[in-house]
Amino acid sequence: MQEVYLGIDVGSVSTNIVAINRSGEVLYSKYIRTNGQPLDSVKNGLKELNSEIGNEIVVKGIGTTGSGRQLIGVMVGADVVKNEITAHATATIHEVPNVKTIFEIGGQDSKIIIIEDQMVVDFAMNTVCAAGTGSFLDHQSERLGIPIEEFGDMALTAQRDVRIAGRCTVFAESDMIAKQQFGFSKAEIIKGLSEALVRNYINNLGRGKKIEPPFVFQGGVAANKGIRSAFEKEINNEVIIPKHFNIMGAIGAALLAMDHMIETGEQTKFRGFQAADFEFVPSTFNCEDCSNGCEVIKVELNKEVVAMWGDRCSKWTNSL
Amino acid sequence: MKVSFPYMGTTVIYKKLLEQLGHDVIMPPIPSQKTINLGVKYSPEFACFPLKVIMGSYMEAIEKGAEVIITSGGHGPCRAGFYEQVHSRILKQEGHNVEFIVFNSMFRDFKNFYKNLMRIKADNSWIKVAKSLMLVYDMMKKLDVLEKEVQVIRAYEIKKGETTRIWENIQRIFDQANNKKQIREAFEKGKELLSKVRKHDVKPQNRLRVGIVGEIYVVMEPSINMKMEELLGSLGVEVERSQYLSQWVDYNVLPDFMNYTHEKEVLKKGEKYLPIEIGGHAKQTLGQIVDFSKRGFDGVVHLMPFGCLPELVSQSIIPRITEDLGIPVLTLSIDEQTGVANNLTRVEAFLDLIRGKHSKKIS
Repeated sequence: MQEVYLGIDVGSVSTNIVAINRSGEVLYSKYIRTNGQPLDSVKNGLKELNSEIGNEIVVKGIGTTGSGRQLIGVMVGADVVKNEITAHATATIHEVPNVKTIFEIGGQDSKIIIIEDQMVVDFAMNTVCAAGTGSFLDHQSERLGIPIEEFGDMALTAQRDVRIAGRCTVFAESDMIAKQQFGFSKAEIIKGLSEALVRNYINNLGRGKKIEPPFVFQGGVAANKGIRSAFEKEINNEVIIPKHFNIMGAIGAALLAMDHMIETGEQTKFRGFQAADFEFVPSTFNCEDCSNGCEVIKVELNKEVVAMWGDRCSKWTNSL
Repeated sequence: MKVSFPYMGTTVIYKKLLEQLGHDVIMPPIPSQKTINLGVKYSPEFACFPLKVIMGSYMEAIEKGAEVIITSGGHGPCRAGFYEQVHSRILKQEGHNVEFIVFNSMFRDFKNFYKNLMRIKADNSWIKVAKSLMLVYDMMKKLDVLEKEVQVIRAYEIKKGETTRIWENIQRIFDQANNKKQIREAFEKGKELLSKVRKHDVKPQNRLRVGIVGEIYVVMEPSINMKMEELLGSLGVEVERSQYLSQWVDYNVLPDFMNYTHEKEVLKKGEKYLPIEIGGHAKQTLGQIVDFSKRGFDGVVHLMPFGCLPELVSQSIIPRITEDLGIPVLTLSIDEQTGVANNLTRVEAFLDLIRGKHSKKIS
């Protein structure tokens, strides 16, 4: 039996589950599309984990991160519930100890994290603008009729440079159409788009920050070679892509859980793999006690209320 | 007169002053989702968030019967100076008959100030006015003392939400007080209630202190800034704001030759980074960050209304202060969007950052 720590990163696009051992090596990892159903995707992930290596492991701790961290934390009985910025930084420092700057681009948000002496000293996170995230590429790949998987390689074949306005997806789109009319090839347009995304990212998130090498680039978009080369061109430096670039959040959550368990010496609160069979019922109701009329979210486990949130006055949140 | 005013911070004070002078006070409701919806609907899209929320609360106050609205003006190149014009025109367009009394600095246009003062004074004697002012000033000072205590205790409370409930109760007790003696009693009662909050024992070296700076309305009004003070408190952090009512009054009312307020020093401290007045609270924001840093705070949360030009300018200067003084600053834009999840992520990560700085490790 091997002792492991689990990490779950529940994002808006993907849900990742990892199991690591005491030295932080990844023994198992699973990438699942969230499809707007974080509860189900985690349940499925746990079931698969259990059937694949469930007999060989003992879970000593579990951490959750990502936008669904609270809900999933309640469901699995997490020992640590952490924000994704800290989780990402933790995992990156573990893999690239001397890292100074982390670029993280996911489907719906992007982050920059500045590290000094293995400590987060600054960060920025972008969530309301799509022009610096994976969804921008997703959308354009659809427009051009080229699968997103081929996007990066295609960009590398471009012969000429073409500049696409990247401040906003709306402008990018009309500029892209204009440049197509001028006769630029798809590959060139894609290269231009990749550069626009990187420019937008650096302008938005890097503004006023001390950006120094070594650079690490992670998140789902790091799979795209075109973006990587656009980054290297923009910052005139090598960009490291860690081995587990798209599951760094989950690894970070697992590492944080391990740290926490070792430090406190507590027993894990993990509900076990049968958590996947528990009946978790989230429901909402409108609290009419004041004019705010908040939509309160209530989560029940086997008919017992285990979590509530969403109320502006914290009346329900604090009632547990 | 049936008067009302913008809702901001400890409103029991404005209410008390107007009541003392015999006016019929229509309390605007605490800004809620309904207020924001109303404000956003009837305001120009590119106006800043405070203008919209205040628009909404005026409409709610008028619905409750307000006929006169008393507000303060603005100075310097900030849109706040046009608020009253924009608000009154829109309200007129929407068919509301309401009059505005705008108090600008008395040192700029004394005639107008005097005229306004006479309206508020109504039939009261000057002695009565002076007495009421002194009484309300006393109340303001005492409430600010208690609020500062609340902002420290909240970080260590064992039962979540207890301190906030007591603070609301204290404001209600002050609301009942009508003379000097009753205010003193309310103060003593407040102290006593706060001393009874059961607290976690946290070693002094593990305590974290965070300052809140930025544009006055989003800093002072918790209902629209995601209850930032309560949020930080519930995450175990002591909080201090850059603005308190009594400080604001001291700074804005005292004539120059006797204005030795802390705000004056604060402004001087920020002068290195922004030598001129650019409107809003930009200069204060920068000065306050320097001030918090010199006073040994662990970090600063900078709140700005989305699209607020003065605060955008200060945001772009902040990295230099951080570099010079090493104090981490988190800037958050405040607007009508209710998805607090990503701001919560930022705040949590920020606290991890300052905790890490405090204990030299990622937490």
